[in-house]
Amino acid sequence: MSTKALESNFLLPIKREAKRWNQLYKIMTEPKPEIVPTPRECVWKKNKTTLWFHPAKEKKYETPIFLVYSLLNKVYILDIGEGSSVVGGLTERGYDVYLLEWGSPGLEDSHLTLDNYIIDYLENAVKRALRHSEAKDITMAGYCLGGTAAAILTSITNLPIKNLVLAAVPIDFSIGIVPDKWLEGLQKGQLSFDRFADAHETIPSEFLYLMFRMLSPVYGSPKINLITRAHDEKYVEKWRRMDKWTKDTASFAGAAFKQMFNDLYRDNKLLKGDLMIGGRKVDLKNIKCPLFVFSCSRDNLVLEQQSLPVMELVSSEDKTYKVYEGGHVSLALTGAFAGIMDPWLAAHSQEIHEVLT
Amino acid sequence: MATGKTYDPFAGYKLVSEMWEKQLNGLLYKLTDNKEFVQTANIGLDAYSRYLERLRKNQELIAAFMNIPTKKDVANVAKLSIQVEEKMDILEEQIWNLQEGLSSLNKGNLEMFQETVKIVTQMKTEFQKMAREVSETKNMKADLQELRQGLVDMKIIQVNIQELRKEIDGIKSIKVDIKQLNDSKESNHFQSDIQELKLGVAEISNMKTDLAAMKSLIEKDKQKKKKEPEKEQDKELVLTGVSKSK
Repeated sequence: MSTKALESNFLLPIKREAKRWNQLYKIMTEPKPEIVPTPRECVWKKNKTTLWFHPAKEKKYETPIFLVYSLLNKVYILDIGEGSSVVGGLTERGYDVYLLEWGSPGLEDSHLTLDNYIIDYLENAVKRALRHSEAKDITMAGYCLGGTAAAILTSITNLPIKNLVLAAVPIDFSIGIVPDKWLEGLQKGQLSFDRFADAHETIPSEFLYLMFRMLSPVYGSPKINLITRAHDEKYVEKWRRMDKWTKDTASFAGAAFKQMFNDLYRDNKLLKGDLMIGGRKVDLKNIKCPLFVFSCSRDNLVLEQQSLPVMELVSSEDKTYKVYEGGHVSLALTGAFAGIMDPWLAAHSQEIHEVLT
Repeated sequence: MATGKTYDPFAGYKLVSEMWEKQLNGLLYKLTDNKEFVQTANIGLDAYSRYLERLRKNQELIAAFMNIPTKKDVANVAKLSIQVEEKMDILEEQIWNLQEGLSSLNKGNLEMFQETVKIVTQMKTEFQKMAREVSETKNMKADLQELRQGLVDMKIIQVNIQELRKEIDGIKSIKVDIKQLNDSKESNHFQSDIQELKLGVAEISNMKTDLAAMKSLIEKDKQKKKKEPEKEQDKELVLTGVSKSK
């Protein structure tokens, strides 16, 4: 047996296995990785909510982007680290980015409803972003439930929203990934979370994590994937970040939790046009700005059919719908979200040289 | 070995695990997808919530007896700070509005000052112009006074002219009267003139006849003198004839 064959048959696999188990040992013993955000400054803080400003590395567009993420998860999935950050990708492409971090509500925030989140926090944050940027308008981009909030705000606000981007957004809550009888039970009032929410006042993050886990109770694939590819350092790094984020769910205000289950899941008010937010009727027909909606083909949290109705409901003449290969968070986790948005945004944002000339 | 690939036990492990995961999840999905499970879950949720409520209530009660602050008390304090934060936000927005108002006012003021400066410079030039005009006006005033004097003179002249005109009118009326008078006198004069003329014509015709008689006499004398050779004698004759006729 030659030395080459000896190396490839015995030494390399041994090295790989040593690396694999070494990495696994590190994951088990070392603390969770620290997420280093893209350079940013705090523009506004209210209660637990923070508005971050990520300046463009080389500003190309006059219209800034306002990113809203889901209320149920932490926002740093959109800025998970250099190389795979959505925010970083956008700033590199010449956009100023404003990122709204909802924060985790405490017991003192149990009374916060979706009205408060959308009007008092989101709308005010957009106002602040507009004031800070000195731009005449802004692009709203929402992911998951953040997209729902962005769509609701766009339909009721007078603020100058130039474009609306919705990614993996649930609009129709009558369908979902949970068993049909559960949905039916929710819609008929046989299953109610009201008392649960009242008792807890603010739903602890552990319960929300449990809720997500219940959607796919046997959830071994991430660990299996890790063990299988633990010798790949880059993969392990990404896996650790993803693992941290998955387990780091946010708590949720009881009032908003109740409102979400009753108004959205039970009565499907958003789709029907019966939803009232801050005394204003939410009618998606009021969305007239250019709209870009996309879904993920392997999304096991928000189905494509849940996003599609928005295309029919809005009044926008310029509207685009696309489906991309990936899971619910993979586009955010890999930073592909920025690459997907860029061509559409570039065509719909005001370039700086246009202003100068 | 010929392909250069080594056996990877993890690939198989992954495949089998994924298959198991999918199937187990499918099984659980089906097991829970029924009315009974939903009802049981709801009952469970209610029971859990009820016990939690009771626990919280008792916790609050005990804490109150023991005079220990609970998480709720801390939350209430936090609420106060949130309220303050909200008020601060409102104040900040009001300050912004004020700032915007002030900046727009300042802008307005700046524009006004610029306008004022413009007006002042304009006024300065206008004053200079006016000063020049005043001096010109003074000259004009003198001229005007002269003119006034002239006008006074003219008025006097006018008065004189008016008087003259009156006089002329008087003369005219006299003239008319005279004319009227003349008209009646002239016809008389004409007649007398005609008569005088007639008399004159008669005298002229008499004179004509006298001349014709004198001519005939002269002719006779000429014929007589033709007979006399000396011219001196004819002249004397003619002259004496003329002196005699006179």
